[in-house]
Amino acid sequence: MIIGIKDGMKLVGISIMACCAVFVCTLFMNYNMDLVSIEEQMTSPQMMIMYDALVSMGKVVSGVSGGCLLITSGIMLVFYIKNYIDTHKKELGILKALGYSNFKIAKNFWVFAISVLIGTGLGFGGAWLIMSKFYEEQNADKMLPEFEAAFHLELVIGLMLIPTIAFGVLAILYACVQLKQPTIDLLKEKRQYGKSRIKGNGKKSQRTKRAVGADREEKDVPFLKEMQKATIRSRKSLLFFVVFGAFCFSSMMQMSAGMNEIASEMMAMMIFIIGAVLACVTLVLAVTTVVKGNTKSVSMMRVFGYTFEDCKKAVLDGYRPWAYLGFVIGSGYQYGLIKMVVEIVFKDIENVPDYEFDVQIFMIVLIVFVILYEAMMFWYSNRMKKISVKEVMME
Amino acid sequence: MIQVKDITKSFGSKENSFQVLKGISLDIKDNDYIVLLGASGSGKSTLLNIISGLEKADSGSIMYDGTDIDKLSETELTKFRKDNVGFIFQQYYLLPNLDVEKNVKMGADLAGNKNYCEMIKAVGLGEKLHKYPHELSGGEQQRVSVARALAKKPKILFLDEPTGALDEATGRQVLDYISKLQEQYHFAVVMVTHNNNIAEMAKTVIKMNSGKIVETYTNEAPKTAYEIGW
Repeated sequence: MIIGIKDGMKLVGISIMACCAVFVCTLFMNYNMDLVSIEEQMTSPQMMIMYDALVSMGKVVSGVSGGCLLITSGIMLVFYIKNYIDTHKKELGILKALGYSNFKIAKNFWVFAISVLIGTGLGFGGAWLIMSKFYEEQNADKMLPEFEAAFHLELVIGLMLIPTIAFGVLAILYACVQLKQPTIDLLKEKRQYGKSRIKGNGKKSQRTKRAVGADREEKDVPFLKEMQKATIRSRKSLLFFVVFGAFCFSSMMQMSAGMNEIASEMMAMMIFIIGAVLACVTLVLAVTTVVKGNTKSVSMMRVFGYTFEDCKKAVLDGYRPWAYLGFVIGSGYQYGLIKMVVEIVFKDIENVPDYEFDVQIFMIVLIVFVILYEAMMFWYSNRMKKISVKEVMME
Repeated sequence: MIQVKDITKSFGSKENSFQVLKGISLDIKDNDYIVLLGASGSGKSTLLNIISGLEKADSGSIMYDGTDIDKLSETELTKFRKDNVGFIFQQYYLLPNLDVEKNVKMGADLAGNKNYCEMIKAVGLGEKLHKYPHELSGGEQQRVSVARALAKKPKILFLDEPTGALDEATGRQVLDYISKLQEQYHFAVVMVTHNNNIAEMAKTVIKMNSGKIVETYTNEAPKTAYEIGW
C-alpha cells in the first residue's frame, strides 16, 4: 500500500499542535481534578474564593486553548490528507483502476492518526515532567492546603486515546470523500482549480451590464495582482493557517507579556513558548506549501522574463495583509480573554488590578512580528530563486 | 539577428561527462522560420535552451544584436527574455489556477499589450476567455500557450516539439495558427521537432545528430500546415 506508517509520522504540524493542546489541558485538568477532590478542606471564605477562581481558570484555559488547538489540528489533518491525495493522485488512481474500493484505500489513512498519538503522548509526558512545579506555582501564596498530583487514567483516555481514534476515523472518512472523484481524473492528475463563469458548450449566457463592467475592470488588473488573488483562492486552507499563525503569535506573546500581575512567571513562559511554536509551525507549513505548489508557475514566469521580485509578489505577497489581519484579531482576542478572566474568574479576589490594553507591549510584539514575518518571506523568496527552470521542464 | 558560434555543452560530472553539443554554429535572421530537426538525444532541445537564454553553454558565443547573451548575468538574461523571446513547450505549462484570459495576460503585461484579447481571438478561443486549462482540450491549451507567447510581442519565438502531445488534426491547426501569426507579426521562429514532415513548413531546416549539425538546407517553397504529411 502506498500509505505507510512513515507517512503518518511525517505530520509534524499536527504532532506539535496536539502536543501543545494536551500539555496545557493535562496540567490544568489534572490540577482541577485534584483540587476538586479536596474541596471539603476549604474551611474559610478566602480559601473558597481562591478555590473557585482556580477551578474556573482551569476550565477556561483548558476549554479555550484545548478547544482552539483541537479545531486547528482537525483542519490541519484535513489539509494534510487533501494535500497527500493531490500529490499522489496517479498512485491512488492506479489502485482504483485495479479495482480497490474507495473505502479499502481510505482505511489506510488511519496511519495519519499516529501523528496525533505521538503529539498527545509528548504533551501528556511533558506536562507530567513539570506537574509538581506547576502545582507549587498555582499555590505559591499558600492560600490552599498542600496536595500532591495524582494520576488520572481518564485523562489518558480523554486526551490521548479518544483524540487519536477520533482523528483516525476523521482521516478515513475525509479520505473516502476525497477519493470519490473519477478514476480517470486521478490518473490524469486533474486538479479542480476553479470553474469558468460561462456555463454550457461555449454558449453565451445572459450577462448583466454589471457583470460586463466587472469583466472590464478585471481586464485592467495587472497580471501579478491576478496571480496573487489566484494563489490565495486556490488553497484557502493555507490562508487560514497564515491568519492563525499570526493570531497565535500576537495573542500569546502579548498575553505572556501582559498577564504578569494575574499569573505566575511559569505560566507566562508556557504561553510564550506555545505561542512561538504554534506561530512558526503554522506559518512554515503554509508558506512551504505555497512555494512548493507554485514551483511550475514560478518557473514559467521566469522563462517569460518575470524577475524574482515579481515571482515573490505574485506568490507570497498576497498573504501579507491576511497575516497582519491575524495579528490584529489576536490582539483583540487576548485583550478580551484576559479582561474576561479578570472580571469573571478573579472578581471576588482582592488586589487583582483592572486589566487595560497595553499599547507598549502591542507595539513591541508588532515590531518583532514584522521582523520575523518579513525575514521568513525573504528566506522563502531566496528558496524560490533556487527553483531550476530546466528541472521543471524536464518533468 | 542571432549568431551562434561554436557552442559546446556537456552534462554530468568530469568522469562521466557526456558532450551533448559539439561546436554548433548557425545564424538566425529577422522573420526567419527555422526548424531544428533530429532524433531524440541529438541535442536539439539543449541547443534551443541555450539560444533562448534558459541554459548556459560551456563554450562558444550567442550574439544577439551585438550582445553575447551567454555572458549576461541572471538579471540581464531575465530582461533579455522579457524583451525578445517567446516560448511554446510540448507540455503547454499553462498556469492551472488562472483562466485563459489571465494566462495570456501573463505574456501581455510584460510588453504592456492591452489588446491581448485580439490574440486569443486570433487562435480561435474568443469564446473561451474564462475557461480554466483543465476545462480545455490539449489542442486548445496549446493554442492558449501560442496566444500567451505572442501576446508579449516577441522578436523570436522558440517552440520545443509544440505538436508532440497533439493528434494530427489539432497539430496541423496549431502549426497553421503559428504560421499565419508569423506572417502577420513578423517574428522569427525556431522550432524543435523530430517530425520530418513539419520541417517542410520551414524556410531553413537544420538537421542534427549526436550533437552536431549534419545538414542545413532551405525550402524554396515552404508548405502550409495542411499541405505537409504527418
